[in-house]
Amino acid sequence: MRNLKIFVILLAIAFMAFLAACSGDSGETDETNAETSEETNGEEESSETSSEEATGEQVLRIANDQEPAGLDPHITPAHSSVRVYSKIYSTLVRFDENMEITADLAEDWDWADDQTLVFQLREGVTFHNGDEVTAEDVVFSFERILDEETGSHIASYFSSVDSIEATDTYEVTFNLSSPDATLLTNFTNSSAAIINQSVLEENGDLQQVAVGTGPFKLEEWVPDNRVTLLKNEDYYMEGQPALDSVEYYTMVDEASRLSAIRTGEVDMTTLTAQSSELLQNEESINVMDYQTLEYSYVGFDMNHEILSDQNVRQALSLATNREGIADIVWNGQATVTGPIAPSMGEWSIDVTEHELYSNDLDKARQLLEEAGYPDGFEIEITTASTYDDMIDTAQILQQQWAEIGVEATIKQVEWAEYIDIWSNTSADVLVGRNGSGSDPDRAMNYFFNSEGSANVWGFADEAYDEIVLDGKTTIDQEERQEIYVEAQNHLLDLSPNLFLVSPMNYVAVRDTVENYQPYPHNAEYILDVTKK
Amino acid sequence: MYAYIIRRLLMVIPVLFGVSIVIFFTLRVIPGDVAQTILGTSATEGSLAALRSKFQLDLPVYEQYFLWISGVVVGDFGVSMRTGAEILPEILSRFAITFELTLLAAFISWIIAIPLGIIAGVKRNTKTDFSVRIISLLGVSVPNFALATILILVLSLAFNYSPPVGYVGFFEDPLRNLQILFLPAFVLGTGMAGAVMRMTRSSILEILRQDFIRTIRAKGVKERVVIFNHAFKNAMIPILTIIGMQIGVLLGGTVIIEQIFSLPGLGQMVLTGINQRDFTVVQGAILFIAFVFVMINLLVDLLYSYLDPRITYK
Repeated sequence: MRNLKIFVILLAIAFMAFLAACSGDSGETDETNAETSEETNGEEESSETSSEEATGEQVLRIANDQEPAGLDPHITPAHSSVRVYSKIYSTLVRFDENMEITADLAEDWDWADDQTLVFQLREGVTFHNGDEVTAEDVVFSFERILDEETGSHIASYFSSVDSIEATDTYEVTFNLSSPDATLLTNFTNSSAAIINQSVLEENGDLQQVAVGTGPFKLEEWVPDNRVTLLKNEDYYMEGQPALDSVEYYTMVDEASRLSAIRTGEVDMTTLTAQSSELLQNEESINVMDYQTLEYSYVGFDMNHEILSDQNVRQALSLATNREGIADIVWNGQATVTGPIAPSMGEWSIDVTEHELYSNDLDKARQLLEEAGYPDGFEIEITTASTYDDMIDTAQILQQQWAEIGVEATIKQVEWAEYIDIWSNTSADVLVGRNGSGSDPDRAMNYFFNSEGSANVWGFADEAYDEIVLDGKTTIDQEERQEIYVEAQNHLLDLSPNLFLVSPMNYVAVRDTVENYQPYPHNAEYILDVTKK
Repeated sequence: MYAYIIRRLLMVIPVLFGVSIVIFFTLRVIPGDVAQTILGTSATEGSLAALRSKFQLDLPVYEQYFLWISGVVVGDFGVSMRTGAEILPEILSRFAITFELTLLAAFISWIIAIPLGIIAGVKRNTKTDFSVRIISLLGVSVPNFALATILILVLSLAFNYSPPVGYVGFFEDPLRNLQILFLPAFVLGTGMAGAVMRMTRSSILEILRQDFIRTIRAKGVKERVVIFNHAFKNAMIPILTIIGMQIGVLLGGTVIIEQIFSLPGLGQMVLTGINQRDFTVVQGAILFIAFVFVMINLLVDLLYSYLDPRITYK
């Protein structure tokens, strides 16, 4: 019996030792991480991060509602990743606060002809590892994006690019196969980042390491916990960034994000419209809002026997009260939208006067009758259970459409399955949310051209294809705007999708944070931010 | 005895093998495609195909399984499809967090449940007994996530307190580490305590009715000694079963609690993995959880024979 006792004790000790080995292991990985980041950071020694308050350092702590899905800018579209890597990498050009294109890594650019775009790079800019940025890096980055093997989500943005040449040490030339008015705007996309070839070759991919030219450099990423960025002392924009470091904490639960911002554990967090009301009365917290580039929509399977009828789709559009959706789903904090979201400014059309937005139920019933469904029909709406606003929208549509005899059932699916259904168009009606993109070409051509990669609806209209192709190749701004007005009206008539509302987004910021302003195209512009 | 242990350890192999098959094929049956989930609206046929071939998803399923399991056998769990990070070190470092949380939760539940359970058993049908039973019923029936959310809200609204953000390891900063873990451990601990309390009470009651207790009492042994040295030790076996099962479950990652309190434990790893369809991470983590569960069960079985020498294993 004594033997057994000893054995049990030994087993327990072995178990503890195993655990110690586990935690020891984690220590080791931390060390290797630190080593690699030290290597990549060159000689600069990083100071201790945890004792920021004592040293009076400028540290901005941000709650991230999702864990970053990797840090490679060319292959990771997840928002939780973009907000991090957009601080680490730079792009050739970027948007200023008025959404006008301005210099970034490229200090100047010029259209040699309508199929040749030449960039002059800033001289003396270095990557975080000390390598200088030359035209070769730009060529390498874009060749990687365009290489199908990479599987880049932004390859389609540069489909008009035929070849890229380093025409001088600091000069890059993009040769296009056809004129492309969207190209310059597409260079502002955070994912069109300039990367360092040797870092990529050393590490195989860039999901874990990040060596860019941006205002901050990656110090540490502890999965499901935090990402720490440190100020890039050699950043080429004079006086930026004002902060010494930025820390992102992954906090999936909204209640804990609210509690952390209330008590000052974090300085900044995104919020839902409902939670923003809960924080209205907190003195030390400013709730800021901005109109997003996103909009909610109803997508139709254009090959469906009932929905393929234009009259039916128009009837459903007439039966939809978009103001009601804005009021109930978004607490009134959303704007009725057409195919291009209102925050795109002059590109978007005013839809409030549009006939199909009039919510005229008699007209809707009449159209249904003409289509041969005087008593309505039955249909299934599919939406993602992951997002409350999508479920709410689907439920309101169910009620509104019932008024003209359309009996809808709602099917909620989990996100990955939803994406699957979306890409295979295996739903009759899909309720979802889209990003308008920063150039109208995205919302119009990419989503609805009969060949467009994101046109999953089976929508094909020759006249429409011609208009949006025209829009893509017309360089003159005013002419281009007119084309998109025509395209949007045409699209609304055909209604392959119903465009609903574009919501506001909310950011809660502690009053210790100064000079922060969210923009539709960059909700987290923090280069000028300081802390009291 | 040793033969028994070796036999049990050998039995672990087919169990894990079965788990590996079930988890591998279940993941591939559920709808949702990794490449499509990653690329979203920006996917093109070419980029989808490239990603699928990178993750070897274009191979026949049995070939994928064979590739994976032959790596696992030699300790190579592969890399995350999403982040490219090595999976095994990640599992181990996260397990350390989950393990600490589990220990703390178990500790909290024992210091609440066992004394109260004993008192309730000894003072059966008195006011004390009834209050303990009500408390334990509350512990069992209030869901973890509700208690967690209520605690977070009450503490932040009424006391302007929230646990520090950003997990740090115990050896880095013990005080901060305990501050971070206390609330989640408390929530889990009270949930566990309910069940342990009830089990302790009924187990003590049953033992106190037995003949040997009467004999001991007749010999004039002090009541305190009767209860702690004789009744309690004999009552331990069912309590231990419950505790073992609870610990096994907790070690598998307490998904909701880890999510609410933003703890980077095993549960979070599995959940993030499932949401992102990161097959390799989910497979690896679940296989590991199964392994831990089996080991805890073995440990509990061995403890039985320590507590009750009549139980022997051959």
